[in-house]
Amino acid sequence: MSDFDWALWLPYIFAALMGVAILVYVILDGFDLGIGILSPLADDLGKDRMVSAIGPFWDANETWLVLAVGLLLVAFPVAHGVILTTLYFPVAVLLIGLILRGVAFEFRAKVSLEAKPIWNWMFFIGSLMSALSQGYMLGIYVLGLDTGWASAAFALLVAVCLAAAYAAIGAAWLIHKTEGALQISAVKWLRGALGLVALGMAAISLASPLASARIWDRWLSFPETLFLAPLPVLTLALFVWLWRLSARMPLEGDRLNLAPFAALSGIFALGFAGLAWSFYPYVVPGRITIAEAASAPESLAIILVGTLFVLPVITGYSIWAYRIFGGKAVDLRYD
Amino acid sequence: MDALLLSRIQFAANISFHILFPTITIALGWLLLWFRLRFNRTGDQAYMDAYFFWVKVFALSFAMGVVSGITMSFQFGTNWPGFMERVGNIAGPLLAYEILTAFFLEAVFLGIMLFGYRRVSGGIHTLATFLVAFGTTMSAFWILVLNSWMHTPQGFEMRDGVAHATDWLAILFNPSMPYRLVHVLLASGLTVAFLVAGLSALRWLAGDRARGTLLALRTALTLGAVLIPLQILAGDLHGLNTLEHQPQKIAAMEGNWETGPRVPLLLFAIPDEEARENRFELGIPGGASLILKHDLDGVVPGLNDFVAEDGTVLHPPVTPLFFAFRIMVGVGFAMLAVSWLGVWMIWRRGDINRPLAYVLVPMALSGWVATLAGWYTTEIGRQPWLVNGVLKTADAVAALPATSVGITLAAYLAVYAGLIIAYLSVIVALALKAARTPHEAPPGINHPGVDPEPAMALGMGGNRHV
Repeated sequence: MSDFDWALWLPYIFAALMGVAILVYVILDGFDLGIGILSPLADDLGKDRMVSAIGPFWDANETWLVLAVGLLLVAFPVAHGVILTTLYFPVAVLLIGLILRGVAFEFRAKVSLEAKPIWNWMFFIGSLMSALSQGYMLGIYVLGLDTGWASAAFALLVAVCLAAAYAAIGAAWLIHKTEGALQISAVKWLRGALGLVALGMAAISLASPLASARIWDRWLSFPETLFLAPLPVLTLALFVWLWRLSARMPLEGDRLNLAPFAALSGIFALGFAGLAWSFYPYVVPGRITIAEAASAPESLAIILVGTLFVLPVITGYSIWAYRIFGGKAVDLRYD
Repeated sequence: MDALLLSRIQFAANISFHILFPTITIALGWLLLWFRLRFNRTGDQAYMDAYFFWVKVFALSFAMGVVSGITMSFQFGTNWPGFMERVGNIAGPLLAYEILTAFFLEAVFLGIMLFGYRRVSGGIHTLATFLVAFGTTMSAFWILVLNSWMHTPQGFEMRDGVAHATDWLAILFNPSMPYRLVHVLLASGLTVAFLVAGLSALRWLAGDRARGTLLALRTALTLGAVLIPLQILAGDLHGLNTLEHQPQKIAAMEGNWETGPRVPLLLFAIPDEEARENRFELGIPGGASLILKHDLDGVVPGLNDFVAEDGTVLHPPVTPLFFAFRIMVGVGFAMLAVSWLGVWMIWRRGDINRPLAYVLVPMALSGWVATLAGWYTTEIGRQPWLVNGVLKTADAVAALPATSVGITLAAYLAVYAGLIIAYLSVIVALALKAARTPHEAPPGINHPGVDPEPAMALGMGGNRHV
């Protein structure tokens, strides 16, 4: 181990950390945003219950985005600049969406009954804007940050599919956190969104190798294809299992109520692993590699030390908070 | 307008909107902890009444702060890529530590603080309140370390145009950091003192004489009366520190063009940057020399020292600094007068009177005015530098079309304006609603129909009022 070169490895460690942060964000804030997107489908009581199901968590969930962007900012400053200036408008839509969604939680609970529908609407619009813009950015990124018309059209498709994916995982979270009529609706919503999720994943899987010879070679040359086969096969299996399971939900005694959420998290993780495999070692597709974009090693080292201490603590107290607010959601109250 | 100016206005709009809310939540978190601890100790329900009202304002302010803060971390990339490219090795770790040690802490425990009152023991609820307050303060610490470093950079070396850290202790404890941190934290305390006093005075005017309301009013006025002299002292020391490290900023704040002794303290003037002189000057002879050098014959730097041979102006714009500084100081002295009068009145007669209440209500936002004015003073005072002496603002901006920045700027401004109006009307509505129903908190754990789980039974205080 004496010739283990930390300076060389640090950028990859940070790329991995950033990947984890993005994945955790997509799963956790994914269900928050999904519930926002689904909220107009519920009646007033249902809306309150849906917000209760995420109220204590959403802020911490959103912090994973801050961490992911923060890691991009601090570990790969050059890439941060290139990616975010290219995606200038989608980022602005995302930020305004996150602003509206975040404040709507508080306002809808504090304004008069007459004004509440406005903030319910903001909650929906903000969640939808955030989800669509994230999907749009993903689409543009997958095609190598190309901003032509064809790419924009593809990105719009990905945007709709990612919003559907968030709606699906939001519905899955509701299956876990609610009961009765709302839970039955959530099963329906989950099944309604699942088709678009599959379409989106298929579209990205087809488009990225077609758009880039490098990605094509990565996936479709022997023997890599053999090692990679479990990724799509497992994803497909999870889809089929989730489809068949959800047809019978809710089950007797509310069994397996967390299973749809777990299955979708698995699908997200598999899809994310596929993307990572496609784009490694680039952080800006085809242009800037992880090593090229990285900050100075001494700065990365000082962040890593802190991260290794703090991240387990954060994970620990986050899990604890989820346990405190575990079980079926009840009305939120301060006192 | 060009993309540089638009990007600057956009970032300024962003940070101006953002800073309003952390300025409230930092100190309000500690005030809530104080209410909570007093309740644990005395069992007096009035403390919990105050807690439950102000935790609502806290939750709303916190959400506003979080969402506007996220916007800034993205704008580093969208509008100011040069900043991270040039000084990212220093700014990066500081921002990363803010996220790791502050953001997650406050975000996770906020849920428990807001909604956990009946789910966790009193001790855990108190701990959650503490951790949220601590998290907000940690956040202030890291971001002010970075901001101070941008004013007084040290502990680094430039290699190929990129800053590399050489001494982290020197970076953390850069010369202006202690002064700026204390000045901003005290500003937060004062903002909250006057916000709480003002909204409580509004409830008082609406006829609310509940003990929780009076208690909040009394606590806030006392807090303001104690903090304002400290703030005036801290501000003076901060000014002397700035004089040492950024004399051009002080020269602009004082509106002093020529270096020399017996410089007057200008109460009013209209700086004319074209003619490089002041119009309509009204000043106290020797005042600036006395304040800055503690000596009438003290030599105070003038703006004309900061003009290059070829006529390039190397000092910040004078007019905004000159006025922003006077607004901040003016508000500070108004705070001194009002809080001391309030404390004296409560000490003499146990209550405030109507005229004072009418003054306190608009003063609810005095902390915001002073904070923004002070922030503009220090930030505009750093121009034309983004990092003093290291990186010019113009060299960090993204090469975006001005129209793009114009469009997003208009969108942000519309959202911010709408949210400020909504925020103010909601906290006023909350106060008036609370004034009509004075008892915020339910009677206690024996309240019929409430989940009998012993939410409070494991609390810290034994003699709880039920």
